[in-house]
This record gives sequence, structure tokens and C-alpha cells, in this order.
Amino acid sequence: MKLRIILVGQPNVGKSCLLNALVGPEVIVSNYPGTTVEVTTAKKMVAGGEIAFLDSPGIYSISDRSEEEKVTEKALFEEEIDGAIIIADSVSLERSLYLASQVLEAEIPVVIALNFVESAEKKGIIIAHKKLSKILGAPVIPINPLKKWGIEELVNALLEIKETKGKTFTVRYDDHIEDAIREISSQVTRTQTQLPKRFVALRVLEEDADFYGYLRDKRTIEAVKESLIEHPKVAEDIAITRYGTAAFIAGKVTHLVHVEEAARRLDERLDGALLHALGGPILTILTFVTIFGALLFIGSWIQDVLTGFTEYLLSLIHLGVGFGGTALEAGLAGMMAGISIALPYVFIFYILFTLIEDAGLLSRYVVNLERFLRWFNLPGRAIIPLALGMGCTVPATRSTRILFTKKEKFFTAALLSCVPCSSRIAIIMGVVGYFGGKWLALSVFITLFVSFLVWGYAVKRITRIEKKPVLYELPELPPYRIPSIGNAVTKSWIRMKTFVYLVVPLLFLGGVAYAGLDALGLTNVIVAPLSPITWWLDLPNVAIIPLVFGFLQKDLTGSMLLLVLGGNVSSVLTPLQIYTFGVAATIGIPCIIALGMYIKEFGFNKAVLLTAASILYGLLFAGLAWRLISLF
Amino acid sequence: MTEESDILRIVEEDILRILGEEKSKKVSLESIKSEIKVTYLFITNAIKELEREGLVQSQGDSIVLTKEGVGKAENIVKRHLVLENYFKIKTKRTRSEREAHKMTDILEHYISKEVIEHIKKLSTFKTEVIPLTKLALNKEGVITDILFPDYGLFERIVSMGIVPSEKIKVMYKIPDGMVIYVGGKKFALGNDIAKGIEVLS
Repeated sequence: MKLRIILVGQPNVGKSCLLNALVGPEVIVSNYPGTTVEVTTAKKMVAGGEIAFLDSPGIYSISDRSEEEKVTEKALFEEEIDGAIIIADSVSLERSLYLASQVLEAEIPVVIALNFVESAEKKGIIIAHKKLSKILGAPVIPINPLKKWGIEELVNALLEIKETKGKTFTVRYDDHIEDAIREISSQVTRTQTQLPKRFVALRVLEEDADFYGYLRDKRTIEAVKESLIEHPKVAEDIAITRYGTAAFIAGKVTHLVHVEEAARRLDERLDGALLHALGGPILTILTFVTIFGALLFIGSWIQDVLTGFTEYLLSLIHLGVGFGGTALEAGLAGMMAGISIALPYVFIFYILFTLIEDAGLLSRYVVNLERFLRWFNLPGRAIIPLALGMGCTVPATRSTRILFTKKEKFFTAALLSCVPCSSRIAIIMGVVGYFGGKWLALSVFITLFVSFLVWGYAVKRITRIEKKPVLYELPELPPYRIPSIGNAVTKSWIRMKTFVYLVVPLLFLGGVAYAGLDALGLTNVIVAPLSPITWWLDLPNVAIIPLVFGFLQKDLTGSMLLLVLGGNVSSVLTPLQIYTFGVAATIGIPCIIALGMYIKEFGFNKAVLLTAASILYGLLFAGLAWRLISLF
Repeated sequence: MTEESDILRIVEEDILRILGEEKSKKVSLESIKSEIKVTYLFITNAIKELEREGLVQSQGDSIVLTKEGVGKAENIVKRHLVLENYFKIKTKRTRSEREAHKMTDILEHYISKEVIEHIKKLSTFKTEVIPLTKLALNKEGVITDILFPDYGLFERIVSMGIVPSEKIKVMYKIPDGMVIYVGGKKFALGNDIAKGIEVLS
């Protein structure tokens, strides 16, 4: 037997975590909304066959308003699915039941996975899950994906999911609305949709224009609405009744007991500080400074160890006979240099970032940083791609989909060229910081920030993006949790996998390619025509090679610089030159993979234009920066 | 037991409500009589009293709201709707819809003496509905209405548990917005949204 099951739930309800428990840690678990904007599939073999799980973005409702909702709705109605797991939050059951009742209205068989049972009990909320199951006519399984209990029962319930069809609960609206539903249902044609007529009628009454086309005569809608004198705003009354029903059921199955809430007081104290009008942003910026400080400190220590190890390793093997030997040696040197420059910083950055995310801190930082986005006329949620951009530009570009207009998406993606991704952070720390000192690394960060503001201002003027009302987009501020370090390491490792499987071979190939170019005397073919650039940057001509290779794969930048300069950067370059190199290497659309993602999201022309413009801007900015500094 | 003066007040409020619900703000005496099931004497006395207060005017066989009357009637209509919503939500499935209407008709006049603490607040004239932006920090309010022209936003807000009759608290002010606590969860909310959420403090 093969089953396709979609997972649906609110943001922060533990959806990805459940998927993790169901199929293993291949799926990145994230506490932060906006990290899943696509439906991903994962398969699990079970005793009776195979279950394919579809993970969807976190949503409160399936009414086709935001990108997340559109993605989920599409998966629910256009994919071939056998049923849905609705992950319910025991702490706020009514919200989950609102979503559940919408899915049940679409007559999709469901199993409710009741999550956070223990944390609800700590708050004095006890849920009679059997009673809930009786009311809904669908299985309700209490789960704890972290401790892996309830998972087996959930899978067993899924195997029988088709049997719930037709026996499940539906919300009853008042007589007038029910009449209207009947009237519109009778107009639904079977040629266009297989969705339940009642569901289509409800969506029509809820002003979802996508469903108007399923009616034989669209004029019915107006006529029916006109006749609803008792409900001048029938859509609103439907939503309220649905929520009211959800709240009523939740109330019926919930038993409250009084408990002292020590944890809550601590939460409030933390929020009091982190959401303070002035203290909040200061704390946020301090946190990021601390992270970068820690990164520089721990990272350079590991880099020291790795570099020493590399030198020792290379001294052991002498391959330098003939071209093959030189190439192999260059490949190995490039690979080891790349690993020691990039790996410590990228890996530690991911761990720290994940810890912050898991602790629930990130959403507070987002609230604090939102106000700065208003300078650029961007909505608050643009901070999500920008924050992700500090990890990797590629998924960050994809997550610009959560924005509303094309302009906003493009503008935010353009801003990413001045947000250092972890590979670029590694260049600043592993090259500039390691060879030029921490203050030099800091000045590159400051320069990058200035370049971000100038670039943002310029793109804002060019795209003519307009100011919109401040909505804050209602991000939920989840309760604080103590993050698990093991979990953070696992997640970071999953994110690092591409580094190991893709980047490490590339680092090797980069070294070999350089040795090849050198042996064939072709280095000059690249170096000579681009010498105006190195002149402008006041760098040795060969320094263009790491910049060019860096565009193929950002982590090649550091290793190639070491290769072309022959090891010790600080004896060849002045601190000012190291600084200029650092700036030039970090501004702009970082690499060819990112360019590919830009092409996918914005089309070839726009993507190439943006990439060229941003790289030119980076070179221009770096050249201007060192000239300005050398004046003093 | 209800006293005569109470009945008079109730009938007055009912008349204002019926007039307020009518777009033209004008209703025939006949339809008032058919809707309020009390003796004719109470109705004429109530109308006389309302006329004396300058809230309504007689026009032949019909009653019309005056300018001052429109304001007062709107308040009563709103209170009626709030209660009706409340009963629709809280009594769903235990009572029929019609019964909820009836409950509202009866309870709206007595609510200050009745049951649940936060409904009590709804009925008194002293407290007024304010937008969420005006609600004092850390003070609990009850949501009475959500006013958005766009249903998409309305539905989104409702699905997050921000619905009439729910308790709501502003926990922190942030630039151009606030952090609210509703139904056990915290959300950051921009002032432009908060303006459309009406609460009773």
C-alpha cells in the first residue's frame, strides 16, 4: 500500500520536528516561519507499504492569502493525497481546530496529532483527546516527536485513514448561511472540480475568487448575498462561526487546573528586556556582535590547528615530480586551505544561528530589526530572507517568496548581495581576520554595513518601491525554549553536508585547475585583461584569480588566494591590501549557484543585470574605500 | 421582578435599536409594535420619553431618529451585535441560532446584573469601545469588533484567535506597533492593524 499524507499545522507547532521523528533527521527542523516555503516530500517504509509525507509551510488558515497559504492550499487540492495529519497545539487547541475544521470542510481525511501535551499540562491545560476524537470523528493521537512517543500510534492511524471518510465533523453555520450554502452548492459544476460542493460554496461565500469559476452561473453569488439580509458581511460571519465552533469544541475537551507558572515569569522578564523600545535593538545588535566575536575567537583557534595540521600533512607527502604531482599537490593544498578557512567559521556560525533560532530568540530580534527595514520601505517579513542570508544566499533568495509584491521580492534579493553569507563571513574572518588581525576584520564588517546602506538606498531609488502601512505581519513570538546542542549540531551538519560533498571536491579541483593554468602558462590570459581591476584595487595582478574562482564557489576565494600568493598572505600584502581584498570579495551576488537561484526566481535578464551591477558595485566600493582610508 | 421603569427603559432601548438597524433610520409605529411584544401603552410612553430627550421625532405614522438619536442608537445596535456574536460563539451547538437571538434580545438589557465578568463590561454605558491602540499597557480588554475592509486580513486575524469576546492584553509597545497576548499566545502587531480591533477596557 502506498499513501501520500500531507502535514498541516500552524507555525511553531512542531511540524518539521514530527516529520523528523517520522522519517529521520533529513529534514531541517526550524523554529522560524518562512524557512519552509515549499512542499517537501519524505518517504517512510512501513510494515504495510510506503508512506510519502509532504511537509507544508506553517499556516493558521487555508484561505489562499499569503504565499505560505497558497503553497499549502495547492498541495491540499491539486496533489494526489490520501489524507492529512493536522498537528494541533495543545496549548491553543482552538486555533488548531480552526485549521482542522477547514480541512474537514474539504472532506480530506485527517488524523490529528496532538503536540505539546506535556507543556500544556505544565500550564494546567489537560485535554481529553478521546472525547475530541469522538466529536471530530477522526483519530486524535497525543505525540511527543522529541521523545518519539505516539509516533507508532500515529503511523497505525494513518494506515486506516481512508476509513474516516464521510464520518467526520463539519461546522454548522446559522440557518441563513446554510440556505446560502445549499443554493450555491446547487450551482457547482462537476466538470471543473472534484472538490466537495459544500466546500466550494463556502469558499465562494468567503470571497475567494479562484472558486467563482466552478459555478454554472456567477450571478448567483450576488443574488444569494443580496438575499442574506441578516448577514451583510457573510464572509466575516463564516470565519467567526468557524472560530466560535473551534473554541467551543476546544472548551468542551479542555480541563483547566490552576498551576504556578514560574517559567512564564521568566519569559516575561526576558521579553521585557528584549522587546524594550530602546533596549531591544541594543541587545539585538550586542548579540550579533557577540556572535561574531565568538566566531572570530573560536574559529581562528580551530583554523590555527587545522593550518598546522595541513602543513604537517603536506610536508609528509612529496608529490612534486612532473605535472601530475604538482597538480595533485596544488589540489590538496587548495582543499586543505579551503577547509581550514571556511569550515570552522561556517560550521560554528550555523550552530550559533541554530541555537538562537531554537531558543525562540530570533523572532524577538526580527521584531527589533523590523524598524530599520522601514528605511527601505520594505515590510517587516523581509528580515527573514535577510537573516537567512547570513547563512547562505541561495535559500535566502528562495525565501523572498514570502514577500508580497515582485518589487519587494527583487529588492530584498538585491539587498542580499551586501549581506555576508557564512562563506563570506569565513573570508572576512579566515583571511582578513587571520592574516590582518581582528580589528581589520571588524573594519571590513563596518565597510560592508555602509555598503549595504548605500546599495539599499540606490536600489530603493531605482526600483521606486513605495512605502506601505506598518503591519508587522503578525509574527508569533513563540515561548522561549532551552535549545538542545545535539539538535543544533545535527541541523548544522545537515546544512553543512553540501559543503562537504560539493565544496570539498571543488576546492580540490580549483587547486588542480590553477596548477593546470599555471603549467600551461594560461594564468596570464585571465590576469592580464582584468588587470585594470587589480590596479583599481591596488592588489597584485594575480589576486584576480581568487576573486574569479570565488564566483564559481565562494569558499575557493581563500584557498586560491593562499595558492597564488604562496602561503603567507601577511608577508605579501599590506594590511590595507588585505582589507581591500576582503571588501571586494564579499560585496555582490556571491557565486554562480546564487546566480542560478536568481535566474530561477527573477528571470535571466534581471538576474544577470543584478549580479553584474552588484559585483561592479563591490569592486568600485572596495577601491573607493581604500583610497578614502589612505587619505588619513 | 422587573419594575415598570425598567420596562420603559428596555422598550426605549429596543425602539432605538430597531431604528438604528434601519438604513433610513425611519420605522413605522406598526412594525415597532409587531417587533416589541409589550402593551401599546409602554410603546407610546417610551416614544414620548424619547421625544422629550430629543432622540426621536414622530412623522405621521412613523418614527425617525434625530441626529443625537443616531449616535445613541448606533451604540445600542453595536452592543446588541456584540452580545449576539458572543452568544453565537459561546453557545454554539448547545442552543439553536434562533435561541441565541432571543437570548441576546433578553439579556442585553439585564446583562449588568448577570453572569460572566467580561460581558458585564459590555453592557454598561460608561465604558466605551476604543481601538486597541488606545488600550493601556498590561490592562485586559475584551475584543468587541474587528473592522477591516479586506476580508483576507479579517480572516487571518480571526484564524489567529483574535475574535470578538476574547480577552486581549497589550504587553509591550514597540515602534509603530505592539506585542499582544491573546488566547495564550504572543503576537507582534502593527498599529495599522491594531487600529481596526475594537476593545472594551
